[in-house]
Amino acid sequence: MIFRAVEDADLIRQASTGAVEAYNLLVSRWEKRVYNYLLRLTGHREDALDLTQDVFLKAYQNLRKLDDPARFAPWIYRIAHNEAYSMFRKRRPETDVEEIEPESTDRGITVGGSAVFPVELSLAVASALQRLSPEQREAVVLKIYQGFKFEEMAEILNCPVSTVKSRLYTALDLLKAELAPVRVAARSGDVS
Amino acid sequence: MSCSPFDLRDYFLEELPDPHRRLVEAHVKTCGPCREELDRLRVMGAALRSSLDEEIPQRIAFVSDKIFEPSPWRRRLAAFWNSGARLGFAGAAMLSASLLVFAFRPAPAPVTVVRTVTAPATAQATPAAASETEIQERIQAAVDKAVAAKTLEMSKQVDGLRVQMLQAAERFDYERTRLRNQVTAENYMLPAKDRAPAAAHEDGK
Repeated sequence: MIFRAVEDADLIRQASTGAVEAYNLLVSRWEKRVYNYLLRLTGHREDALDLTQDVFLKAYQNLRKLDDPARFAPWIYRIAHNEAYSMFRKRRPETDVEEIEPESTDRGITVGGSAVFPVELSLAVASALQRLSPEQREAVVLKIYQGFKFEEMAEILNCPVSTVKSRLYTALDLLKAELAPVRVAARSGDVS
Repeated sequence: MSCSPFDLRDYFLEELPDPHRRLVEAHVKTCGPCREELDRLRVMGAALRSSLDEEIPQRIAFVSDKIFEPSPWRRRLAAFWNSGARLGFAGAAMLSASLLVFAFRPAPAPVTVVRTVTAPATAQATPAAASETEIQERIQAAVDKAVAAKTLEMSKQVDGLRVQMLQAAERFDYERTRLRNQVTAENYMLPAKDRAPAAAHEDGK
């Protein structure tokens, strides 16, 4: 007997017809990814958790508007993006999003679990990410951490692919200068 | 500036199709600066990925959780409005009920007649009742007038018929007299033996 995992698209179709259990399963599959995306965007765990809750509630209420279940990932990240920026505007309408400081913890890093690299490197990563503009940082998060394609990122961010590429390339150049300066790269040719 | 046939950043970000990837890989093997550039990108990527995903502190509340559960009344209401069959049945039931009410409701006409009779007798009627009484009086007057007109018309018809009958009787008398005179004259013009006796003639008329 062959067991086949239920596809997200199947769960979405069932949830659209009112199958709450199917939607619950969908939430359990996606909650960690959406939470970490929002955590990297906001820099605050409580905010990220609240926003994640709002995102999945809003997604459930609007699930019937999702024409193509295969596009669920960009669709729910689009909701998450909107919710995050809506919160930024509500909380500090007079303050630029760029000025919001990320949460600092006693572990010394904004995000991250057990450290494969030294804590100093994690700090350097957090510092480098923080130097980016919010748009550049979000582009890096969507590409490096969430693995979206350019077209999907354009859909999530509601902007042309060329804009996505521009933000990302600029961010990569800045990050490369911070995290992999020329002298480091010359000595780390074996890192892949 | 990279001399790679395709953007090394696209290669690093896995946005190049396989044939292009192979071309870049072949180029990097022979080009030191491009290899160094690609190595820097890889180091940067490894550093970024050192920041791992966190576990979510608490699970997201499911839509089936109690916190999202609507009250029983709201659930029934939502179920009602979301069901076309139930709405249709309710509409048909309301229509039937209204038909039954109108079918078995007592006719208001007798009540109106009673008021017509009693209203003029009550001297201390309210303004609303007085106006109704006045209306009833007008109706009664109109009815009386119509009845009188009809009676007059019928009496005229009767008079006309009586006149016609009298005229017919007069014409009958006239014709009878004329015929009798004619028969009498013709009788006297005959020879005496052929004349009918006057008494017999009179009886035969």
